[in-house]
Amino acid sequence: MRKRRILLVDDEVAIARALAMYLTENGDCEVCVENAGSAALAAARQFRPDLILLDIVMPDADGGTLAAQMKAEPVLKHTHIVFLTALVSRNATGGGSKTIGGLPFLAKPVDPDAVLEYIDQHVVVRG
Amino acid sequence: MVDRLAAELVPLRALALSLLTLAAAITAAVVSPETLLDQEALASGLALIPALLLAHHRRWSVVSTLLGVGLVALTIVHLAPPLFGVSPEVPIPTMFVVAPYIAVVLSAGWLGEVRRYQAELKATQLQLIQSDKLDSIGRMTAGIAHEVKNPLMMILVGTKILSKRLVNADDTTRQILQDMSDAVARADRIIGGLLSYSRDGGLDLEPADLNATIETSLLFVKHELDKVQIAVVKDLDPSIPTLKLDGFKMQQVFINLLMNAIHAIGQDGDIRVSSSVQTLAAGRGVGYRRTDRYVPGERVAVIRIEDSGPGIPEEHLSKLFDPFFTTKPVGRGTGLGLAVCRQIVEMHRGSIEVGNREGRGAQATVILRLEHPEDDYEKATDSARG
Ligand SMILES: Nc1ncnc2c1ncn2[C@@H]1O[C@H](COP(=O)(O)OP(=O)(O)OP(=O)(O)O)[C@@H](O)[C@H]1O
Ligand SMILES: [Mg+2]
Repeated sequence: MRKRRILLVDDEVAIARALAMYLTENGDCEVCVENAGSAALAAARQFRPDLILLDIVMPDADGGTLAAQMKAEPVLKHTHIVFLTALVSRNATGGGSKTIGGLPFLAKPVDPDAVLEYIDQHVVVRG
Repeated sequence: MVDRLAAELVPLRALALSLLTLAAAITAAVVSPETLLDQEALASGLALIPALLLAHHRRWSVVSTLLGVGLVALTIVHLAPPLFGVSPEVPIPTMFVVAPYIAVVLSAGWLGEVRRYQAELKATQLQLIQSDKLDSIGRMTAGIAHEVKNPLMMILVGTKILSKRLVNADDTTRQILQDMSDAVARADRIIGGLLSYSRDGGLDLEPADLNATIETSLLFVKHELDKVQIAVVKDLDPSIPTLKLDGFKMQQVFINLLMNAIHAIGQDGDIRVSSSVQTLAAGRGVGYRRTDRYVPGERVAVIRIEDSGPGIPEEHLSKLFDPFFTTKPVGRGTGLGLAVCRQIVEMHRGSIEVGNREGRGAQATVILRLEHPEDDYEKATDSARG
């Protein structure tokens, strides 16, 4: 079974690096990190992830717009996108049931184990 | 609040002015009984009553002012001939008797108008200050939350990585790593709480245990209480039914009141916090008039915070709820505490009073309705906001 491919887009370099490390070491994931929001679309096209963890507030791009652009790409249309954001509180996420612009989100600070759990639930790898 | 007061004064003022007008007409008639003026003045005086009553109705104030001016003009026209010696049988002094009354009546009316605008202005100002205060707190909190959550995330992920890597870590190290994760969770909760407190405007009503809300508020001031020798006596009635509250906002009310008591006491003394269910008897603010807040027989929760401080000087009592009224040194008090308390309590359709206890100290009393028809909330929220 191949590894699950995760694209992590976050301008916070340290967070992205640490989270990528955690997911790689503990979750059987292949993680691609992109710190520049403006380069995220190209990275997604190239990497073809199973799931994209997308920050919303970034200096050079806005996660919401990025998500819409990704959803408009034929190759990324079916890729699962989840926002990873400090904009909302955990208690506002209602256990992951609520959405921002129709997409689910995880509220920072989120336990990396919870991120793994989320990936387990939403990414099914065949072959 | 100012609005309500003005509303209560309106009928009284109208009555007083009408009586004054009548008195003017009657005096005129008495002073010069032999003239035809008595009937005219009497008629004008009577006609002024509806005009003045109307004057207290916002929408009609222009119409009624014109009406009033017209009537006064009429009276003067009737008085004018004798003034110019056209009808010598009408004594001139009558004019001097009637005129001052009319002047008083009119200026009182206008003054009422001015005062009403002042009251309105003040209410709007209060509303602006509060929404401004909440607004800026809201913006600030949202900004801080965003800035703080990213570092928290970093610490959390880092801690998790370390705990996975330190496979051979001893128990103490594990405990420390766990404590670090817990600390992040705690900081996150605090930020979440701040965010929901500063969330703008409306109430976030949920069935709540009033006594638990009081207990939490006490926890928040525990630190302040521990610094000085203040004993808190709690007398909370466990039979208080669940009531709908915005827990965070109501906590803010109790914290404000407790802080006031602590500041008043200073070094040592005691605070008594009590809650009880009471059935209201007819009295001040309890009745069937439009201005009455409660109806007799209504069941309410009464929360009282009493302190053994010096109490409040008589001349300050009427100003306590004014925004920015404070006797505390600059930097210690903003004077917004009670103003915000009142706004929050009135949004809950309750009431709040602060006064002196018999003997020594001050007391704050918050009254909250136990039954509340759902649809009344919006109205209360609107009027509490302005
Ligand atoms: N329990 C009390 N005993 C004596 N005086 C009081 C008490 N509560 C309030 N006051 C008086 O009422 C004033 C206004 O209170 P309020 O809570 O509105 O503002 P503040 O306490 O001065 O400032 P802030 O609440 O913003 O810190 C106080 O400055 C104080 O003079
Ligand atoms: Mg205060």
